[in-house]
Amino acid sequence: MRETPATTSRPYLGYGLGLRTEHYDSVLQRRPAVDWFEITSENYMIGGGKALHILERVRADYPMVMHGVSLSIGGTDPLDEDYLGQLKALAARVEPEWISDHLCWTAMEGQHLHDLLPLPYTEEAVRHVAERVCRVQDFLGRQILLENVSSYLTYTCSQMPEWEFLDAVARRADCLILLDINNVHVSSHNHCFDPLDYINALPAERIRQFHLAGHSHNGPIIVDTHDQPVIEPVWQLYAAAVRRFGMVSTMIERDDNIPALTELLDELQRARTIAAPILKSSAA
Amino acid sequence: MTLRALQREFQRALLAGDTRFLSRIAETPGADSARRLTVYAEAYRLRLREALEVDYPKLRTLLGPTQFAELADTYIGRHPSRHPSLRWLGRHMAALLAQTAPWSAQPVLSEMAAFEWAQGEVFDAPEAGVVAVAEIADIAPPDWPRLHFQAHPSLRRLDLSWNVVPIWQALDQNESPAPPSAATTPQAWLLWRRQLDIHWRSLGVEERWAVDAWRRGAAFGEICEGLCEWLPPEHVPVHAAGLLKSWVDAGLISVLVLD
Ligand SMILES: [Fe+2]
Repeated sequence: MRETPATTSRPYLGYGLGLRTEHYDSVLQRRPAVDWFEITSENYMIGGGKALHILERVRADYPMVMHGVSLSIGGTDPLDEDYLGQLKALAARVEPEWISDHLCWTAMEGQHLHDLLPLPYTEEAVRHVAERVCRVQDFLGRQILLENVSSYLTYTCSQMPEWEFLDAVARRADCLILLDINNVHVSSHNHCFDPLDYINALPAERIRQFHLAGHSHNGPIIVDTHDQPVIEPVWQLYAAAVRRFGMVSTMIERDDNIPALTELLDELQRARTIAAPILKSSAA
Repeated sequence: MTLRALQREFQRALLAGDTRFLSRIAETPGADSARRLTVYAEAYRLRLREALEVDYPKLRTLLGPTQFAELADTYIGRHPSRHPSLRWLGRHMAALLAQTAPWSAQPVLSEMAAFEWAQGEVFDAPEAGVVAVAEIADIAPPDWPRLHFQAHPSLRRLDLSWNVVPIWQALDQNESPAPPSAATTPQAWLLWRRQLDIHWRSLGVEERWAVDAWRRGAAFGEICEGLCEWLPPEHVPVHAAGLLKSWVDAGLISVLVLD
């Protein structure tokens, strides 16, 4: 395994959670011990009202990052200038530490599929995505993070493993990576690869954020549903990722079957407990 | 095969069950290609269905979950999403219900959809200030006829023939609603947001005309003239001033314009 010094100088926010409507009241009233929040950008690309009001109040007390689901960076429709304009306007309002979206495609011929659909791992796709990332980064005036998605199929035309594809896009576009540990686990199960091969192949200096999440089973396939607690093998993979990448801002993603905030705080505590001794020993 | 051609085949497999795409899927132990594609197809339908459930909770209660799912599938087939946010997916629901059997036979469904959609629009309309009563008092009486009003961005007007508002309220309180019934003439409703809360109220026939008139751009003078259709002319100034004060008090007006 390639060793990475834990001193890699990357901005570090600590341990965060996704901001969800179900937790608005608890967050505002109890100011929980969360280091930062991630918002789903599209949920706040609206004119006004309660959501934006709460967003501003939470932002006043916590660092924030913006996470989008509809950029369709791997799509072949032209980049949506309207969408990008709204994203930039929201960023001006939120002043996020960073902005992320997914390494996938989500729309075709103006139709939005609202799913994170996988790309073929080809040289053509690397070139296509990297060129679009560059244009988005130019427009936003900042580097973006791309997240690896869970996938349930791969293509006959793919020419490389997923981790080489992600690595190639990130290097060519000079963008950053949001590594979803659960998605690595899910895809490794669905496509029969060793998740450590994935973790070990990525460029450490580009890893800016981790996602942790739960999933569910649909017969032989694991589906990235974000409706369950993080499972044991994903915690183990998280430990491996911390050993490999050092201090990386980490959060739990829970989007469905949402429990009380305290339950997520406990899960977040588990992440701290796993990472602390690893970071301590690699610092020694 | 180009990336675009591959994505087009995938999309057609998802939306129309086109099977050509199956041959593009790599064979991997654990599940066959059809199974893998089905995971995406099911997720697509469920995700869009859930978005419609969020927008139309009371419509769903009226129909029941099974019929609502059928409606949602019909809807998704006719109106695939054209917007990066699912927030706008359901905007054609009232029209579809009004025009499509079997739902068109129960017009209360289309009106419930219109009422729920309007609430969503009110809920996340842009912010704007509202005119204070003192600002009206500052305007010299001779200038009043030239006064125009700009509505708060959240303001919506609906005409409902059916008793959807009482039905909605009963369902919201977990009470059993009265059976659907239609009035002989449609009832006018106004919906708007005040601070963060949604408000609505019904309008009498002359107030309905007056609100629609100023929203079209009519000046206060025109509104007073128009009110003579319902009121003796000597009562109009006091009545019109009372209406204006009630609109301002409720926060319906964002800007006063004199011209
Ligand atoms: Fe994720």
